[in-house]
Amino acid sequence: MSELVEIRNLTKVYEKKKVALDHLNLTIPRGKIIGLLGPNGSGKTTLIKLINGLLVANEGEVTVDGNKPGAETKSIVSYLPERTYFQNSMKVKELIEFFSDFYQDFRKERARQMLANLNISEDARLKTLSKGTKEKVQLIMVMSRDAQLYILDEPIAGVDPAARDYILKTIISNYNENATVIISTHLISDIEKILDEVIFIRDGRVLLQETVEEIRANKGKSVDAYFREVFAC
Amino acid sequence: MLGKLLKHEWQTVWKIPVLLIGILMITAVIAGLTFALPIWESDWVGLPISGILLVLLFYFAMIAASVGISIYLAARCYKSLFTDEGYLTHTLPVASRQILNCKVITISAWMLIAGVAVIASLVLFGLIVFLSLSTKNSDFARDVLKVYTENRAIWQEPFMRDFGSCMVSLIALTLVSSVSSALIMIGSITIGQKVRGHRILGAVGAYFAINTVISIVSVVLTIPIMVKMVTDSEYLSSFETSPFSFYTSIYWIMTAVYLIVGVGLYILCDYMLRRQLELE
Repeated sequence: MSELVEIRNLTKVYEKKKVALDHLNLTIPRGKIIGLLGPNGSGKTTLIKLINGLLVANEGEVTVDGNKPGAETKSIVSYLPERTYFQNSMKVKELIEFFSDFYQDFRKERARQMLANLNISEDARLKTLSKGTKEKVQLIMVMSRDAQLYILDEPIAGVDPAARDYILKTIISNYNENATVIISTHLISDIEKILDEVIFIRDGRVLLQETVEEIRANKGKSVDAYFREVFAC
Repeated sequence: MLGKLLKHEWQTVWKIPVLLIGILMITAVIAGLTFALPIWESDWVGLPISGILLVLLFYFAMIAASVGISIYLAARCYKSLFTDEGYLTHTLPVASRQILNCKVITISAWMLIAGVAVIASLVLFGLIVFLSLSTKNSDFARDVLKVYTENRAIWQEPFMRDFGSCMVSLIALTLVSSVSSALIMIGSITIGQKVRGHRILGAVGAYFAINTVISIVSVVLTIPIMVKMVTDSEYLSSFETSPFSFYTSIYWIMTAVYLIVGVGLYILCDYMLRRQLELE
């Protein structure tokens, strides 16, 4: 079976010649939880946005399940951006209907169950919810889909440690096991325990793509410790 | 998928325009009802002035409703396409052209509804004024009816020649310009995205630039008709008998201009959303 995501010679240059991605080559397999790790400005979010068709590359190409980013890839990719992207005036139940309408793989009952577990009322408007609760609602919507690729950009930043544990538990217990999860984060120590593979990225290039076990065995240290060593200032 | 996009778009945008139209209708009723009150015959000047102010309020409500609805739709379009909400819009499993079509259809429809609402408010105002004056003066209604009956034959006069074709051209202009106005709005917002750091200013600038070009082109294209009126005495005589033929030509020229602008902006917006999207 071919790789889920194939990235060839991908280059993205912003204005004033800022090179965000520099002829990046990468393949992402199916059925893995992958950490996309790198310092600020390394190109993680740019890469994620290109995979989701929110940016256009200057050079190279990215394919998801053999297709360029478009309507077809968006139907199999479930994306959680690092920002609040729902309309604040929407009610939670309207969000459920919205996702249900557009995504055939959205599981309403799963979403309802997760919201009930967190005591989040479906009649609540998003603008009445705290920042952390809004982020949980977003995560619930994303993880209630049976997608082939989940892309979570900083899913645990800005939330308390207890909420982080809940989010990681939600990711593990609700994603489609044949799917791939890409998690972009700085909080490596929190997330390391659920990762299968890691990708280190710096200055728009891939430094390393290995399994967590390989890093622990070959480097004799945790991914977090190795990350600090590689990206020491 | 276009149906679903339209359903959710309408669910999101209907409240503010309906509220503005509701306020417009209420001010039309209030302004009309002032004519039922004895304030116009009052010795104290404050009362007739209050009546005038209420009628002025209705006038400003008409402007506020149409401008307000346009500004609201533009803001919604910008928000849903190019701000954080754009992350939701552009990751839906729909082609970007369908997103564009949804915006065009929704905005065009509301522009038309706003126009119809303004006309309806004028009719409502007129009707209430008529009824108000009729209740105060029983001869008023009879006099108005008499004027209408005596002038019904005006439709057979040479003056009304080409009135039908003029109305057809005006309706065509209204419909095409509604769609074109929507595309001018969306096109301006999309072009404005290219002005980094000043996107809203860029959009406003693009809006005025596009409308300026339309005005200049329209004037240039109507010059031959104006020249003909000055140089061709037969044409001038025909205009003096019935001006509708002249206006029909003007309206068709304007329709063609708006149609070409609309098609051009649709192609541009489609390309920019597909190939030039740069969500921050």
